[in-house]
Amino acid sequence: MSQSRGSQNTYLLVPILLIALLLGTAVIRGPNLVSMAGFGSAIIVAAPLIFATFSLMSLAVAGRGTVDLAVGPLLAFINVSLVRLNGLEVVTGPFGVFFVAIGIGVLYQLLFALIIIFVRVQPIIVALSGFLALTGINLVILPRPGGSAPEWMLSWGVGTTIFSPVLLLLLLAIGGWLLFTVTSFYSNLRLMGYDERAAYTSGVRINLVRVGAHIIAGIFVGLGAICYTALIASGDPTQGTTMTLTAVTALVLGGVSLSGGRGGVTGALLGAVNLFLIGYVLATFNFGATQAFVTQLFYGLILVLSLLLTLLVPVIGRYLYFISPFAAFIVLGAIVVGIMLQVSTYDAYVLADAAAGAAKPAATGAAGYFLLPIADGGVLGFVDLSPIQRMAMIGVAALAVLVFTARMIVAEAAAVRFGAFMYVFIGGLILLLFFVVGEQTHADSVSPPQQSSGVSP
Amino acid sequence: MSQTYLPARSSSAFIPRSRALVWLNLALTFIVGAIGFGLGFWQGISAQQVILYTVVLVAILFGLLNYIAVIFEGRLDATATPEATNETAEGPRSLWANNRIVIVVMVTMLIVYLLITATVPTFRTLGNLIAFLLLEAILVFAFKVSNRFSHGRSAFIGLIVLLALIVISSFTISGFLSAANIRAILLFAAFLGIACIGQTLVALLGGLDLSIPFVIGASNIGLLFLVSLGVPPWLAFCFVLIIGGGIGFLNGVLSYRLQGQALILTLGMGFAVAGLVQILTSIGSSFSGNVFAPVPKWLQNLAAMNGKTFGLSVPPTIILWIVLAIIVIVGLRYTAYGRHIYALGGNRRSAKLIGISEFKYWTLAYTISGISAALTGSLLLGWSGGGFIGVGDQYLFTTLAAVVIGGTSLMGGLGGYGYTVIGVLVLQVLSSFLIGIGLKYEWQQFIFGLLILPMVALYGRAPHIRAQV
Repeated sequence: MSQSRGSQNTYLLVPILLIALLLGTAVIRGPNLVSMAGFGSAIIVAAPLIFATFSLMSLAVAGRGTVDLAVGPLLAFINVSLVRLNGLEVVTGPFGVFFVAIGIGVLYQLLFALIIIFVRVQPIIVALSGFLALTGINLVILPRPGGSAPEWMLSWGVGTTIFSPVLLLLLLAIGGWLLFTVTSFYSNLRLMGYDERAAYTSGVRINLVRVGAHIIAGIFVGLGAICYTALIASGDPTQGTTMTLTAVTALVLGGVSLSGGRGGVTGALLGAVNLFLIGYVLATFNFGATQAFVTQLFYGLILVLSLLLTLLVPVIGRYLYFISPFAAFIVLGAIVVGIMLQVSTYDAYVLADAAAGAAKPAATGAAGYFLLPIADGGVLGFVDLSPIQRMAMIGVAALAVLVFTARMIVAEAAAVRFGAFMYVFIGGLILLLFFVVGEQTHADSVSPPQQSSGVSP
Repeated sequence: MSQTYLPARSSSAFIPRSRALVWLNLALTFIVGAIGFGLGFWQGISAQQVILYTVVLVAILFGLLNYIAVIFEGRLDATATPEATNETAEGPRSLWANNRIVIVVMVTMLIVYLLITATVPTFRTLGNLIAFLLLEAILVFAFKVSNRFSHGRSAFIGLIVLLALIVISSFTISGFLSAANIRAILLFAAFLGIACIGQTLVALLGGLDLSIPFVIGASNIGLLFLVSLGVPPWLAFCFVLIIGGGIGFLNGVLSYRLQGQALILTLGMGFAVAGLVQILTSIGSSFSGNVFAPVPKWLQNLAAMNGKTFGLSVPPTIILWIVLAIIVIVGLRYTAYGRHIYALGGNRRSAKLIGISEFKYWTLAYTISGISAALTGSLLLGWSGGGFIGVGDQYLFTTLAAVVIGGTSLMGGLGGYGYTVIGVLVLQVLSSFLIGIGLKYEWQQFIFGLLILPMVALYGRAPHIRAQV
């Protein structure tokens, strides 16, 4: 297929659509999300899940149906070990903690890989074995939730600002994976995951590649455990099973193929964020005593539905090959950012015009071009035009934007990576968002917040 | 030479062709019988019971030994010619080359044993010595002898492990062989075993069903909820079974096109089902998720420890399990349905080409899995006496572990319910042993986890990639 070059990522369309829908709903239902504290705590809460999903993704790409069910218990194992070592005052410093966490993760995954390679047992059985053993040993190390994280970690889990160390870890991990995708090792990994025999016959050293994939997974688990320890600031041996189940769900939701060869950090990230947002949106509805059950029901249904949707991936790839998932992500992202701006600045406009005055021109100037269809009502303020002129202006601008975005989506579909323009565009959007959010937080502190419709996360 | 790979079908199913083997078996049986006889009197059990047990033991042992011998012979005939040509290079070097792993492992174990014995005074007991010798024997058996069986290696290894466990436990734990304890082991084995019926069938087709624990929990509270609404208990029981079957059917239909991801799909279905049932039962109730109502008497009798079957003091659940097990084993072995399941699990393509509907059997296996899980949940209600959604949680991986330890391949096509029964018994006896020596639940889980791997490694190894190209 000549057009298949651009459509190799079409599986991302489903999670992208879902994330736009969910984020829109989440912002409308719970406007508290759009603030420094909201984003900060969201990142910290979602980080362990994201890392666990990355770890699963790295193994899933390696093929043979490797779903490491033990990822949750392993994370909990590192968590309780850290807390225990901290309690005994053996390992307290940052360097030691990172060394221990990543070391345990890598060692376990190395063992896992060696068993798969040399004992030649199905990975699912090794994972099952590890799950049972680690769940048991976690309770031995720490019989009940308790203990305390190292002192210096306490400030990590507060989540009052976006720029926490956790975000740095996440960015480093994502950046590291993206750098890794450039190497030939990565193409070998994908080849092995897709067809191990073909990889072997074409001279790929599959054992080495498999060990590499597992080591990467181990690093991700170690980082996830550090984030988890920072989040709960103590040890919890009981959450392993839940973490495994949610991480597997996130993996599937992100469109990573469990049969190997397809997947990446983008899909896993989208899946994990989606899952976090589902929980967030559900938490904004009040189901009373049945809240936990409704959440469980929705998790299950979404898992099943997203699995069924993966059946549609070939169909999507055949008919929508001209749409670039990344461009679609940009466009949907712009729309969602528009909703965010609308929601977060709405109160400020109505209640405190003076405080919002600073945010107004910024939002008009930069966002006005792309966010017209959404943000026109509250943001645009051409005073000296008649209503008809204004309508015409808006119509023409909207048409131009539509044509431009459609052209961009199709053009980008053939490219494997972003063009330079896209990077600039994304960077601009993110900066704009931070600016407006910051202003809004400022406005909130000036005038008492009146947002009563949302439930805090 | 005709290869008797299915000796049970032939007329001389339980009699080896060689006379010497029969006499050897007879001698072994009588020695064991005599030991049991002596021990029985030594313990001071009444004479009638001793005689009864000895006769039963001798009969079963003799039958079993002969059965093993028949299979052994068939394999020996088949491998006789190649072995004769291979063993040209005699001497210690070939002995070492052929038995490297066994020798290394045995020597390591010996060193570890001697070290522990030398350092820990309380370790020097007769029971530990016997345990050590048994472990070494298992190793030799697993590596050398079991290779010669034509099929069912895993079952024999499982049986030997089971036997060794029973011997070790009865030496180390007082009251292990008491009627109450055996009944308890069998009762829990029955719950697990019934839940494993579906898992085995699904595994034979190459799938996995992780919705079992959720269906168990959901049927547990669902049944009690229906009873508390005033529905006649028998009707509610049937209704729960039908719903369980329906969930299983849905599992099968949905996962048919996603067979690689059946694991995840059934997990999601399980989540959804558990959530839905909890929502339904907690509407208008102040106890969120839990249901409180009296459990009908007959259901309690069905599953409680002191239940009676026609006057016998055996819980009916055990009898039910035995009956179901026989039906499933015979059904898998002799009916067209059973053979078709093996055919599909072994090779999808060829099975399809001879006209076996894959969809039909796939959904059928999942439907049976749903029904068996619902049945387990309902029976567990009689045992515990109160509805609780978490009652099935431990079955999430123990069903899988039992299937795997028994020797059914998760890739499909190999194994059977008989193997799973052995796996279930091994798990339960081991669990009882570990409780008996005072280990807590978490240590048990740890040991289960570590046990699965070597058990599977003994017989479930995939060929090297070189051999697959």
